[in-house]
Amino acid sequence: MKKLITLLMASVMTFGLCACGGPKEVIDISEGSADSFENELKTDEAQPAGDERKTFIVGFDAEFPPYGYMDENGEYVGFDLDLAQEVCNRRGWELVKQPIDWDAKDMELSSGSIDCIWNGFTINGREDSYTFSVPYVDNSQVYVVKADSNIKTEADLAGKVVGVQADSSALAALEDEEGKADLAKTFADLVQFADYNTGFMNLESGAIEVLAMDIGVANYEISSRNGEFVILDDQLASEQYGIGFLKGNTELKDQVESTLLEMVADGTFEKIAEKYADYGLVDSICLK
Amino acid sequence: MQTSTMLSQLASGMLVSIEIFVLTLLFSLPLGLLVALGRMSKSRILSGIIKVYIAIMRGTPLMLQLIVVYFAPYYVFGINISARFRFTAVIIAFSINYAAYFAEIFRAGIQSISVGQWEAAQILGYTKTQTFFKIILVQVIQRIIPPVTNETITLVKDTSLSFVLSVAEMFTIAKQIGAREASIVPLMVAGLFYFVFNYVVAFGMEYFEKRMSYFR
Repeated sequence: MKKLITLLMASVMTFGLCACGGPKEVIDISEGSADSFENELKTDEAQPAGDERKTFIVGFDAEFPPYGYMDENGEYVGFDLDLAQEVCNRRGWELVKQPIDWDAKDMELSSGSIDCIWNGFTINGREDSYTFSVPYVDNSQVYVVKADSNIKTEADLAGKVVGVQADSSALAALEDEEGKADLAKTFADLVQFADYNTGFMNLESGAIEVLAMDIGVANYEISSRNGEFVILDDQLASEQYGIGFLKGNTELKDQVESTLLEMVADGTFEKIAEKYADYGLVDSICLK
Repeated sequence: MQTSTMLSQLASGMLVSIEIFVLTLLFSLPLGLLVALGRMSKSRILSGIIKVYIAIMRGTPLMLQLIVVYFAPYYVFGINISARFRFTAVIIAFSINYAAYFAEIFRAGIQSISVGQWEAAQILGYTKTQTFFKIILVQVIQRIIPPVTNETITLVKDTSLSFVLSVAEMFTIAKQIGAREASIVPLMVAGLFYFVFNYVVAFGMEYFEKRMSYFR
């Protein structure tokens, strides 16, 4: 009997040791910073106004290249994150890049666990829900089909299975009664995906015939996939990207926006866009 | 992209998954035992409360429970939540969810021991507590290892749900690498990681079961 209890205790203690040994390094990986616990507690309190702000937490979908994604070194990069980094450098803030689940973005923002959504975030149709910066990118929603597809125009879409990202602006455009809702009704089905990679897997395998998405991401995906797909000339909608803040948080919006405009004036903004020229970003920026 | 870079990125995500796994087991197993004892309590009020708790934990999606645990402090009590709380919330939600499942496994195990043993122990002068810890529990552990292994393996795979709170564990990292590479290979590799990890878990549990089998 004693042997058994000893064995039991030993196994419990082994679990305990594993638990103590493992976590420490893991926290660095998941947070990407070596902040002490005290610092964390400080961010817990309401952010002080003005120059006292220490951190700037940007929420983004890390599966949205070239605006925000994980590069080959495991770092989160992208046009929007580079802009955010430059804004933080100039303001003396520490940038925290927080990849979020796109479906949970509103809860993240209103609970204060992120300061803004900066991630190819479409303004059109969301004006009443967020406080937006000035638009900085002209974007359009496009249809992507296989290169050998017989779908050539918007009219060919009738009776086809179309995919979109859940809660994306392409979906909003297809549900907008004054927009393309009538067109959407002619589709055989409208399927929602969590991320674009799954969407492209469906398109590639023939499970869907059309994918409606942002042109920036479409360009990225098509160039990474050796041009097996094409973008239709007919566009679903055109729109603009802005930085989304919690409704009413104009103070933070003004601070970020003024620094952003500074960067436009001295050419840094365009320089950052040129880093992502392969994906057509230089043509899309609308602050000059 | 080099395979080695992808593997090391996935491995760093795997550490997060393992951390969630170990901490959840550490908290949910003892909590599950308490819940099981409460469920079998003679007090109708206590066992009633525990029944409701188990019903809610088993009857609602774990993903919803994760969201509730993390966002409730803000939406219900108006307390600002910090980024560090993400991980804590994941551990809390997983622990209370798995404790409910473990509790029912424990209860089945405890009730499978014949009443005769309790009576015999009483005649030999054991108190109820002594009987439970020295006679009953050890046999219970031996009997419940197979269903506990089931739950444990499910837990390994459930860790991927934690991305709903933006905790980037392995599956999330695999999806992010997949998005960059425009490829499904990282997902397949992630599947291999899970398989190997679960194989190790199952192997360990089998070994433990053999060590415990000297009653028979």
